[in-house]
Amino acid sequence: MGPRLYNTNEPMNEYQMINHFSVSSRVDKDRSGAISDTELQQALSNGTWTPFNPVTVRSIISMFDREKKGGVNFNEFAGVWKYITDWQNIFRTYDRDNSGFIDKNELKQALTGFGYRLSDQFYNTLIEKFDRQKRGQVAFDDFIQCCIVLQRLTDVFRRYDTDQDGWIQVSYEQYLSMVFNVV
Amino acid sequence: MLATKPLLYPGGFPGQQQDPLYGYFTAVAGQDGQISAEELQACLTQANFSGGYRPFNIETCRLMISMLDRDMSCSMGFNEFKELWAVLSGWKQHFMSIDRDMSGTVDPQEMSQAVSSMGYRLSPQAMNCVIKRYSSNGKISFDDYVACCVKLRSLTDVFRKRDQAQQGVATFQYDDFIQCTMSI
Repeated sequence: MGPRLYNTNEPMNEYQMINHFSVSSRVDKDRSGAISDTELQQALSNGTWTPFNPVTVRSIISMFDREKKGGVNFNEFAGVWKYITDWQNIFRTYDRDNSGFIDKNELKQALTGFGYRLSDQFYNTLIEKFDRQKRGQVAFDDFIQCCIVLQRLTDVFRRYDTDQDGWIQVSYEQYLSMVFNVV
Repeated sequence: MLATKPLLYPGGFPGQQQDPLYGYFTAVAGQDGQISAEELQACLTQANFSGGYRPFNIETCRLMISMLDRDMSCSMGFNEFKELWAVLSGWKQHFMSIDRDMSGTVDPQEMSQAVSSMGYRLSPQAMNCVIKRYSSNGKISFDDYVACCVKLRSLTDVFRKRDQAQQGVATFQYDDFIQCTMSI
């Protein structure tokens, strides 16, 4: 899907600017100057013939859509593309057999690598929950979605864990509000 | 496909009473006597559970399985299926009693009343969170209503288990929080 566009610490050089512009203008099919969910979805591949997970597309766009306009502009798109390329690199790292899918063991390695401590049985639950292709393995888009949800839950937990000891105490209401926004 | 063999005793168990639900269940369950989310969806559709309403979508069926999935097998046996049927029937009655015009949807206010009358005590903010998650265009469909009920029930169970003193406050360790919440 394209090389890493730029290092976040350095401004883009001319070549990178041209490359970025050509990628984003190819994606912005209706030339509206903004990239919508649909346009991004069409530009992405999950390694199968099925469309990229629209929920994942929505999550990604909303991460970079500063003004809540429902799409990303030229500048925000650079962030989107880098984000996706980063995920691609991670996916490739853990898809050890290069099947284009991450199986249970590879998922275990990936998430353990990120620092999660999850039971073996729970990985069955994760795959059942996120694997839209129903192959017992996760495709690229579903892998991203799984990680995004785990990340959101972690973020919401952290907010309540004021002394950072890995424990929280919450009321019933707080628990419902925390969770209903995420899962 | 419904079984066509005229068995007196379903499953070949002598003396077993003919439970109408058993017929629907075994038609999809297969050898292992367990059903997956897809099979549950087929089963409920075949039994015309939703009646005049649209059939359940697959995600709602997955939620239903995990609500009763005690052994984390991601599938459901006949006893759980019976339990589910009873619970679903109650919710359906409830929904139908609010959906006076049989439109297949209820508005947030009606949803809020339904949730309260099921016994959940939620603040307006928490209630808003819940309803926002399940409305489309300001309305809640039967399928979404059921998904919401399932989730509330599951989350309440999770919470109760960690509220040792029954004071309405639960303690969660991080790894446990991630796993129990994601398992719903």
